[in-house]
Amino acid sequence: MEKSIEKNSSNSKRSFLKLLFLTVMGVSFGGVIYPIIRYLSPLSQQKEGEKVEILKDEVPIGKAKFLTYKGNPAVVIHTKAGFTALSAVCTHLGCIVKWLEDKGEFQCPCHAGRFDVTGKVLSGPPPNPLLQIAVVESGAKIVIG
Amino acid sequence: MELIKDINKKVLDWLDERYDARQWIRENLTEKWVHKHINWLYCFGGLSFLGFLIQIGTGIFLMMYYIPTPKDALASVQHIANNVPFGWLFQRLHSISANVVNLLVMFHMLRVLYHGAYKKPREFQWVSGVFLLLITMAMSFSGYLLPWTQLSYWGAIIGTEMPGATPFIGEWLLQLIRGGAQITGITLTRFYAIHVVVLPLTLIVFLGLHFWMIKKVGISGPM
Repeated sequence: MEKSIEKNSSNSKRSFLKLLFLTVMGVSFGGVIYPIIRYLSPLSQQKEGEKVEILKDEVPIGKAKFLTYKGNPAVVIHTKAGFTALSAVCTHLGCIVKWLEDKGEFQCPCHAGRFDVTGKVLSGPPPNPLLQIAVVESGAKIVIG
Repeated sequence: MELIKDINKKVLDWLDERYDARQWIRENLTEKWVHKHINWLYCFGGLSFLGFLIQIGTGIFLMMYYIPTPKDALASVQHIANNVPFGWLFQRLHSISANVVNLLVMFHMLRVLYHGAYKKPREFQWVSGVFLLLITMAMSFSGYLLPWTQLSYWGAIIGTEMPGATPFIGEWLLQLIRGGAQITGITLTRFYAIHVVVLPLTLIVFLGLHFWMIKKVGISGPM
């Protein structure tokens, strides 16, 4: 029995069936794996270069609004000088800075880095200022990006 | 092809040297001796187990998006079914195969009854099987509340009223299951914990016993 199968192993019918078997297995396996990977992948975020629009009323003078810009945390602040948008990611180790309204500055909760309203480092370990993001005012809205 | 065969051989050699892998494969797969009288009626136990594996797999996926609070439960289930890619697939698979597993378990039980396979020396296979049936039903019941729909809510009320009719301890039992006098968010988190941790772990213990006994005693003879 064993021998007769071995003899026919070069048979084209046998190799065709082998290929067919492997193809069916591969397709079935892919059919299981593909939905699982899609299911577990995060939902598509904002596309590259997409702008974020918010209403001016959402950010009164002295306040800050945190939002997501290109998939990363960003912040819009309204001072007497106007609107500023900054990346909210501390340049030290990537924690998200918080806005101290009474002091008018940002502080990083992780290692107490401090930034002013323009993102410049005031004290602490951060090596670079917070990244600036362009802001355009249009009517009752502001456009970030 | 030659390369794959070569790697296969090396892996098997490695395992063989340590764990007698080839002998295990021979005894349990390639040269396993199966009774002549085995037919398709004997497949329901294995199919129930397959259904259980599907439930575990899809259940873990659902847990990744499901939120067990009264405010978010329904919305998160709808989010899974409508927005998450292939979420509908895993959500439907989980709820439909839950029903199918119940059917399979009962077919399995009917087969065992019909063949008298519960008799000596397999009494405890039957007893562990009854526990498995009860746990399966408890799984279905606790899972039914989780989407927090009208059906789930009223279903849970009726289902918990039943143990409430137990003499003497009924009221206490009812409140213990609900976590209060009414079905609330407490009941939801309670059912969630039971559904995803307590019952699956208990089920695995009884499955282990059930399978170990089958292996030890062997499958029942022909009628």
